[in-house]
Amino acid sequence: MKHPLRTTTVGSFAKPDYLQRARNRHAAGKVADEELDRLTRQATREVVELQEHLGLDVFVHGEMERGDMVAYFAEHMPGMRTGELVRSYGNRFYHKPIIVDELGWDEAMTVDMWRYAQGLTKWPMKGMLTGPYTMVEWSFDEHYGSRKEAVLGMARVIHREAQALAKAGARYIQVDEPAIHTRPGEDFDLAVKAMETVVKGVAAEFHTHICYGDVSRIYPGMLRLPVKQIHLAFKNTDFGLLKLFDRTPFDKSKELGLGVIDVHTHTVEPVKDVRVGIGRALRYVPPERVWIEPDCGLKTRTPEEVQAKLKVMVEARNAVLHGLGA
Amino acid sequence: MVHTTVVGSYPRVSDAPEGQRLRRAIARWERHELTDSALRDVQMDVLREVVKEQARFVDLPADGQVTWYDPVSHFAAKLEGFEIGGLLRYFDTNTYYRQPRPKGKVRWTGAITVDDWMAASAASPAPVKAVVTGPYTLAVLSAGAASHVPDLAWELAVALGHELGNLVHAGATHLQVDEPALAGAKALPKGYDEIAKVLLEGQGRARSSLFIYFGGVGHLLPELLDLPFDVLGLDFVQGAGTLAALRTMQTEKQIAFGLVDARNTRLEDPKVIAKAVLGFEGRVPLEDSYLCPSNGLEYLPRSRAREKLKVLAEAARLVREASA
Repeated sequence: MKHPLRTTTVGSFAKPDYLQRARNRHAAGKVADEELDRLTRQATREVVELQEHLGLDVFVHGEMERGDMVAYFAEHMPGMRTGELVRSYGNRFYHKPIIVDELGWDEAMTVDMWRYAQGLTKWPMKGMLTGPYTMVEWSFDEHYGSRKEAVLGMARVIHREAQALAKAGARYIQVDEPAIHTRPGEDFDLAVKAMETVVKGVAAEFHTHICYGDVSRIYPGMLRLPVKQIHLAFKNTDFGLLKLFDRTPFDKSKELGLGVIDVHTHTVEPVKDVRVGIGRALRYVPPERVWIEPDCGLKTRTPEEVQAKLKVMVEARNAVLHGLGA
Repeated sequence: MVHTTVVGSYPRVSDAPEGQRLRRAIARWERHELTDSALRDVQMDVLREVVKEQARFVDLPADGQVTWYDPVSHFAAKLEGFEIGGLLRYFDTNTYYRQPRPKGKVRWTGAITVDDWMAASAASPAPVKAVVTGPYTLAVLSAGAASHVPDLAWELAVALGHELGNLVHAGATHLQVDEPALAGAKALPKGYDEIAKVLLEGQGRARSSLFIYFGGVGHLLPELLDLPFDVLGLDFVQGAGTLAALRTMQTEKQIAFGLVDARNTRLEDPKVIAKAVLGFEGRVPLEDSYLCPSNGLEYLPRSRAREKLKVLAEAARLVREASA
């Protein structure tokens, strides 16, 4: 039987000030590549140490080398060009890339940092990829002129990267698809087909992360995604998303990633609130198939908030396990 | 003579360090290192800058919505009757809004957009259009939408009518109501003509526009053209079918032709845009109509938004030249 209520995070961690400053200075040509790489690895090591300290079960490397989940890949992918700043929400902006040519894959984009992070710990390190639908949807397309062609072209590229991660030894690969519910009626089949292309023949356990959209419009359709774990931002709706499982129970062959921490507030949740949220989810899915996670990546929080919030998450998980007699 | 305008939002940052002063100010304000008043100063500085930038290219700029968190919670948070909830995708864009949760009767308790409009107006050499998100869109995007849309939209229309009246009282001569949610509607919501009348009760001598974007409304056109707005703004990029539908009609309604794609960086050929507009000569009053982007320009980087306005201005010049 699997360990119940395993803990992990969604991917990004807050960058420490010294790294953010170095990245800004590097962009201005005032810090050398080697120095930025050294500081990036230092920050990655700190993220790994924090997860060990907190007692998480499956680790992430924290994405210290990435400015953004889409722009990072665009910087390294043939056929894409880095774009200028565009707002996402509130005071969050990203360099929205532009697809300017046929998409391609020359070399691994994420394996080096994954290998470095995995080398720091005995705990499994997830490979972190952005899904093909989200990559295209969050870019401008000046080349294909057809979302279908662009998404399927991108899926072939992300598949190559997943292969490279699995070959390097990644047991878990997370393919983030936060944009998957942008056009549910029009495009959901395309997004599923793209995910099938990504995972086909790759020897790893795949997870996906979906957040901040109208999930009700892709449920239960999302159960067709060929992944083991589907992670959703439950806390964002005060666990209201659980009502979906009244209509159609969650697939027994899949695991549920339960977002229990709000990543858009400075307030640290009380342990009791997180514990109650987990308890509500367990009415629908047994603990062996539930993972405890924040709602989304943690890069929007300060390093202190990240630590405090994850500490609460683990304490709440432990309290629930205690109650279950596990 | 065809005029030029924008739809509303405009990029509030650019890639240049100086172009990111608002972003830095908000980050400092969130850390309590900047007072409300100091943040407002930066917001107004950027607002004036974007208004002047638009006014270089178009006849009728807007305030750029630089102080809005999003087009939904900006209004709901300042009206009585809502609390603000979690993040949700805004239509099919890659931006997000805070979803309002209705918690009682909606009431207007004070001006929401008037101060920004006045600041924009003072900075602009041309009249500035005042923009509000429409009652139907606000109702549809609120939590628990299906059951409460008709009543909520009505209450919101009354509240937003007060807002529009206040804008007119402050001197606004051009009002715009944005209803992107109508692009997804199978039929014009029952009673929308009455909602429009309530909205425009305080219109006075100001000119009013209804703008619908993020999709097509070809099937709604006959009813939309009958609504009591002076101008009907349409997205002919995502709603390509709307263009074909309009081509089959003859109308006295002024049209805002949203022909420049505000969601893709690829630049249009002004000659192609001009030709599309000129195809309506004799069937739409082009001399009082507008050429504009397909929706707010905030979905583009700042430099590309500027380029799109140049395309718009050049296309309008070609239309005027051909019509002269």
